[in-house]
Amino acid sequence: MTYYEIIGGILITIGSIFLFLGGLGIYRMPDIFNRLQAGTKATTLGAMSLILGVGIMEGTWEWILKSFVIIVYIAFSNPISSHALARATYLRGHRPYIKSEDKEKMDAYREVVENDPKRKEVEV
Amino acid sequence: MKKVLVILLLAVVGFYLADVFIGIGFGNDHFVKSDEIKPVKDIYLQQTVENLKVSNAVTSIVVNFRGFDTLGEVTVLFLSVTALGSILYRKRHHAGDRSVLFSASSIVTAGSKLLFPPILLLGAYVFIHGHLSPGGGFQGGVIIATGFLLMLLAYENYTVSHNALSIVESFAGITFAVIGLMGFMNGGTFLQNFLPVGTLNDLFSGGIIPIIYIAVGFKVAAELTGVIYTVLNEKGDQKNG
Repeated sequence: MTYYEIIGGILITIGSIFLFLGGLGIYRMPDIFNRLQAGTKATTLGAMSLILGVGIMEGTWEWILKSFVIIVYIAFSNPISSHALARATYLRGHRPYIKSEDKEKMDAYREVVENDPKRKEVEV
Repeated sequence: MKKVLVILLLAVVGFYLADVFIGIGFGNDHFVKSDEIKPVKDIYLQQTVENLKVSNAVTSIVVNFRGFDTLGEVTVLFLSVTALGSILYRKRHHAGDRSVLFSASSIVTAGSKLLFPPILLLGAYVFIHGHLSPGGGFQGGVIIATGFLLMLLAYENYTVSHNALSIVESFAGITFAVIGLMGFMNGGTFLQNFLPVGTLNDLFSGGIIPIIYIAVGFKVAAELTGVIYTVLNEKGDQKNG
């Protein structure tokens, strides 16, 4: 085991944990906006860490450079795509789910949502 | 009476189908059990590495061993695209023709401008390295078409020139056919290799395989971009949700 392999293995493990948490978030979260946030943030970091781990594990500069190129691409593409999805969903009239007993907790958010004529009361 | 006839016919057809399938011997490692004749897969793998110097066996089979079939596939794609265009194409495209519910936000427009060149580069990389790594002309062409799809989604007024697309497509198709015909000039058959094969794992290796795959990549990219553009510009029935 070289140092490269140990560092790469640690990074790959971190990445897999984040990817797993992202998948769990998509399964557990109540509505599309929460699912998007779980799916985007966790998988962006997870994929970056995993790809960097693979690049370091190989141990040559070409591989590390290649993995950095892929990381930059993911850093641009993943947030942009989920932003477009969330914006399109909001503009089409889908609103975040709010539990009826939790209304007091959503301070500034509530003002936006409650004045919205398209808002639907959803019991979760 | 009719049912009896149908059952009889089905029984006859089924008997001969079963007869044929029993003779094939699925799961056996060697179809031909003889010392002189090698099984087909061994011949393909050996020829790929030793004679053609191509490290991606799938590419060598698709473009070299059954290159004529690939020419047919490209023709089928061309015909289906032409049929789609003849159904959906309208002569005049105006700027506001596309049925857009909401225009894309500035994040998406700026981001697509940034991401468009790397997507084209990745597509070109995939079809240029088709004989070295997984991928090839069809896959690279589809990647390039997705780049144009991104631009068309981000910018409502983005236009693709139909003339440029048809010129690229025709030129790529003619390149494929001419390379195939040039096999005759060297005393061979259609699509026979006439270029030096080089060394294994080099970018310039494999004879005519990279050239054909580059032509296929351009052709598929132009055709699919045309399909996307035609379908997007077709006025949808549902306006404003």
